[in-house]
Amino acid sequence: MTSSFTDRLLGRVKLTGWVSLAAPLLAILFAAVVTSIVLSLTGNPVLDTFVTMVDYGSQPRSLVLILNYATTYYLSALAVALGFRMNLFNIGVDGQYRLAGLVAAAVGGAVTLPAPFHPILIILVAMLVGAAWAGIAGILKATRGVSEVISTIMLNTIATGLGAYLLAEWAVPIAGGNNIGTTPIAASGHVPGVALVPGSSLKVFGLIFLAVAVGIGFHVLLNKTRFGFDLRATGRSEQAAVASGVNVKRMVVYAMLISGGMAGLIGMPQLLGEAYSYSLNFQAGLGFTGIAIALLGRNNPVGIAFGALLWGFLDVSSNILDLHKISPEIVTIMQGVIVLSVVIAYELAHRYSVVAEQKRVSRELAGAAPTPEKEGAAA
Amino acid sequence: MLRNRFGKVVAGAATGAMLLAAAACGGGDTTEGAPSAAPTDAASAPAASGAKVGLAYDIGGRGDQSFNDSAAAGLDKAKAELGVEVNELEAGNGEAESAKEERLRLLASGGFNPVIAVGFAYSASVAKVAAEFPDTKFAIVDDDAAKGANISNLVFAEEQGSFLVGAAAALKSTKGDVGFVGGVEVPLIKKFQAGFEAGAKAVKPDIKIQSKYLTQPPDFSGFGDPAKGKTAAEGMFDAGADVVYQAAGGSGAGVFEAAKAAGGMAIGVDSDQAKTADPTVADVIITSMLKKVDVAVFDFIKSFTSGSVAAGPKVYDLAAGGVDYSTTGGKVDDIKTKLDEYKAKIASGEITVPKE
Amino acid sequence: MIPTGPLGTLTQEASISTETTVSEVAVQLEGITKRFPGVVANRDIHLTVQKGHIHAIVGENGAGKSTLMKILYGMQRPDEGEIRVNGTPVTFHTPGDAISAGIGMVHQHFMLADNLTVLENVILGSEPKKGGLALDFAAARTKIRQISDAYGLGIDPDALVEDIGVGARQRVEILKVLYRGARILILDEPTAVLVPHEVDELFDNLHGLVREGITIIFISHHLDEVLKVADAITVIRRGTTVAEVNPEGVTARQLAELMVGSELPSPETRESTVTDVVALEVEGLTMAAGTWRPIPKGTPASFYMDRMRQEGGRLLLADVSLTIHKGEVLGIAGVEGNGQAELVEAIMGMRPAAGVVRLDGVEITDWTTLRRRDAGIGYIPEDRHRHGLLLEAPLWENRILGHMTEKVNVRGWWINRKGARADTQRIVDQYDVRTPGIDVFASALSGGNQQKLIVGREMSGEPKLLIAAHPTRGVDVGAQAAIWDHLRTARAAGLAVLLISADLDELIGLSDWLKVIHRGEIVAEFDPATVTPEQLGSAMTGAGEEA
Repeated sequence: MTSSFTDRLLGRVKLTGWVSLAAPLLAILFAAVVTSIVLSLTGNPVLDTFVTMVDYGSQPRSLVLILNYATTYYLSALAVALGFRMNLFNIGVDGQYRLAGLVAAAVGGAVTLPAPFHPILIILVAMLVGAAWAGIAGILKATRGVSEVISTIMLNTIATGLGAYLLAEWAVPIAGGNNIGTTPIAASGHVPGVALVPGSSLKVFGLIFLAVAVGIGFHVLLNKTRFGFDLRATGRSEQAAVASGVNVKRMVVYAMLISGGMAGLIGMPQLLGEAYSYSLNFQAGLGFTGIAIALLGRNNPVGIAFGALLWGFLDVSSNILDLHKISPEIVTIMQGVIVLSVVIAYELAHRYSVVAEQKRVSRELAGAAPTPEKEGAAA
Repeated sequence: MLRNRFGKVVAGAATGAMLLAAAACGGGDTTEGAPSAAPTDAASAPAASGAKVGLAYDIGGRGDQSFNDSAAAGLDKAKAELGVEVNELEAGNGEAESAKEERLRLLASGGFNPVIAVGFAYSASVAKVAAEFPDTKFAIVDDDAAKGANISNLVFAEEQGSFLVGAAAALKSTKGDVGFVGGVEVPLIKKFQAGFEAGAKAVKPDIKIQSKYLTQPPDFSGFGDPAKGKTAAEGMFDAGADVVYQAAGGSGAGVFEAAKAAGGMAIGVDSDQAKTADPTVADVIITSMLKKVDVAVFDFIKSFTSGSVAAGPKVYDLAAGGVDYSTTGGKVDDIKTKLDEYKAKIASGEITVPKE
Repeated sequence: MIPTGPLGTLTQEASISTETTVSEVAVQLEGITKRFPGVVANRDIHLTVQKGHIHAIVGENGAGKSTLMKILYGMQRPDEGEIRVNGTPVTFHTPGDAISAGIGMVHQHFMLADNLTVLENVILGSEPKKGGLALDFAAARTKIRQISDAYGLGIDPDALVEDIGVGARQRVEILKVLYRGARILILDEPTAVLVPHEVDELFDNLHGLVREGITIIFISHHLDEVLKVADAITVIRRGTTVAEVNPEGVTARQLAELMVGSELPSPETRESTVTDVVALEVEGLTMAAGTWRPIPKGTPASFYMDRMRQEGGRLLLADVSLTIHKGEVLGIAGVEGNGQAELVEAIMGMRPAAGVVRLDGVEITDWTTLRRRDAGIGYIPEDRHRHGLLLEAPLWENRILGHMTEKVNVRGWWINRKGARADTQRIVDQYDVRTPGIDVFASALSGGNQQKLIVGREMSGEPKLLIAAHPTRGVDVGAQAAIWDHLRTARAAGLAVLLISADLDELIGLSDWLKVIHRGEIVAEFDPATVTPEQLGSAMTGAGEEA
């Protein structure tokens, strides 16, 4: 009768009223409490630890790093969230962006174009590769009913193998180093950073604006377009969508293509703003971070932005904890607890709000009852 | 209405951040470049030499019984013998390039000098950060790509050491079938494989060599997953191997377990693993390819305290005693003469060991 | 002998119980009443089942059979009344209690794991232990063989469930219950999933069981089957037991009349608005159970049906043809599960079927659901929560659902938020949807108001055809009257309506013509003004072809 736990978990059901405010607040508070307990159990100073993290995390240099981390996380979480909103579990974001990053880096290193077109080409290639890789899972689901969870996990593994092969084929050794990577992208393909944070020489990835644009696009696509309506309707109730004439199979393929295309962007800020080459150091595992952040942000572009920033803050401050002889794993614990408690808090808050809304509706109707009752009788 | 909802989420998250800030009781503003990074106990250290050594580990960190532990041993030795003050930071799996940079930067800006980066993954980061801190000496292990006036590159001839244990494996094998387990298929580990195969074939040209890598980049979990190591080694023993050489970092523990279970022999890597590995499996380790990162790290710190740091590459090969094989447990005593013969030939250049 | 009314029923019951005092009573229900919020599902139920009998319980859908069985099986507790098993009063809290009292239930839908063997399925949940931990498969196998042989079930304990047929699966379900020590079996619509020869086999098995002293309570609305197999029959209507009859002295038509009741609502006298313009034409619609296999276009339905029958498949729809004119309401009567849902889904294009569908003379057979809706088909689905609404979405978004191409809702690729909201407000006002606003979730509204919203939505955009499946199910009386009014008004304006309902008041009150569907076939048709309950009842239950 009402929404399932998964619906609420994945944010296909929106929370109303103060609940949307209370739930994350409670969750972060709870995570802080749990972390404090862990810290004191392991014999670390609780307050000092938080002071150190916030202190370090609020320095201009750290702020830049947090923004840069968050840019990448944001794109990843959006890619995951698009699928989630339609009840599609694209676990394969990880493989999609890694493969996309590799091919895009190789293409970018192989060609030279005038400045604005070079990065655009690289980004387009990345999106295409990501979309194609995710599209395989979409087509398998639409035509053969293969669960996208299974197929995307398998495609992750295949992407790793394929990536290793392609890297070995395309890579140029870096003189004297043990690292290998694709031919570095020429300067025309770089996206310069921007000095957003005063007081730091470090620059924020220029593609942070792309991430913001993708976030806005996500919101517009989902909430303002027919396609988005069909997608959300399918996510909320596939049966209702079918009865309403939504071609669910086609939606599955489209959603996977879009999710994969967004996944292709994940590696771009680092590739075009910092690394310029896909090497052994290319960051892996971002697709899974994206799942956690998408849950944290309830698949809502603004919620995800805060989730990504929080995640970035925690990751950046783990270094300083290590320096103070506090195990950086405390950050991992904190991230885990936050996701878990957010899920629980949303669930509790949701239950409360559903009952509250039903009560409110019946109360308001009871107050206004006499008039419509007469109208009804007359009709 | 949507705007309204966003507003609420914003407020929620902002309040959360404020809570953390409140918990922090507004720890004062700190200027960049001199963060509160330096531990408070720094000043009170018994600074015999006055040097504060910062060391950044590769994935796995202290306790991997292998590569990182070898660096840690050098650091510990420097601490004990040279009286330097040390701080160690650890890399996270799947971290961004900027995290590595920031780690080195934290150490350098915290007044640590010299700063040692363990592992080629730090190559680009060292090059970048060393340029920002020209007065700090940097060293990087396993990389010769990062160049700078204040960068020392500590590199090893892994293939030469691997040649010796390859020969040892062939000499000890009764079935004429040996195995190689690599952690992650990267050029560095391929050097181990190349040396091992060359050494084995030098002894017995028709020997069967099984080779397997646990993971492919960018998945680096092959350096820290004993279960994967165990599965791979089990497969080799089942297929007829009786000696398996592992160059798989933390995953090597699984290789030893598999050898123990199969009644086979294993060869360790980097450290003298007959000493460092879990005592229950140590007896299967007939020898280890010693990659003396500890020596390199200690030498570097020592040269720093004596003011004689040389920038650029320093190659630790067989001739320089940078790589070797171990004899702990006496299991290769019977073939020691033969191995030392090879050793002399390599050192003299009579045998050139391939790198891939 | 034949009861003709409630008074007659009581006499009948009394006479039967005196006749059979010699044999033992297995189950006795006295004055069972069960209320749910707003409804009384069971009222003063009396039931006496003799040991070793096959006792059939017949009644229309919604008559209260399933509630009664849930009470007997411990899934629900009665508010009043007493249950006696073998003479001892019992109180069941869970099905476990019922099982320990020797009552087992075989559900209509099998609860077997396909990838396990019969043996594993049977012992699942009551595994025989050997020495505390290990499973004693040998003992279980022996016991299963014994039961199978004793009752002639012919079950191989080591066969994989996925490899055996539907009839055998049903016997496994029966065996499962016997294995747990049941001496009284409840079979819920056991023949619904079977093809005719399997039904005969089942009946042979049931006779075998009762010979060995097992008591069977058999729930069905297929009267010919009931008459063939039962030793005694109890009829339930509107939540209460209205008659207990002896199958030897009763005909299917008489039983049907008992089920439906002796009075039918009289259709309102009203002017016919039926025109001679055809709105919907359906020809030879045929659908088989299981996986859909496309058939070449132009293949006659009869050919397809013959092939399906040869392969032993079950037809959900068999050669259904119907025509609805503008201004006509065509009612489809029938016991639920006889193909109504499939008929609707086939016309809506939600489920592939063979045959031809034409709307306004244009063939729409190959059209997608959306295109059909665009072309002017409105749809009030049977299950509004699953098919008709996004429960956790605001009302105005629900206004868009299924009407994603209407001008008020969209402008090109974009959602027309303002237009949709304004039109939602119009529906709320015009259809008297009681809600504090159009931003509340659909889940916050009562069933009647949800349904009024759906009706309003489906009526907008001036549909040519409205498919209304149980349009007033589960709504309060006020909303029901309002929805009926809206349907009549639209009909007068020239709308063609396909009305599917289990509510005879609704069917007779609204329809211009009635067709009866039974086992996927249109078996009879009537003028609602002249139809008798006897005719309707016989047709619905397949009791006889003659009207």
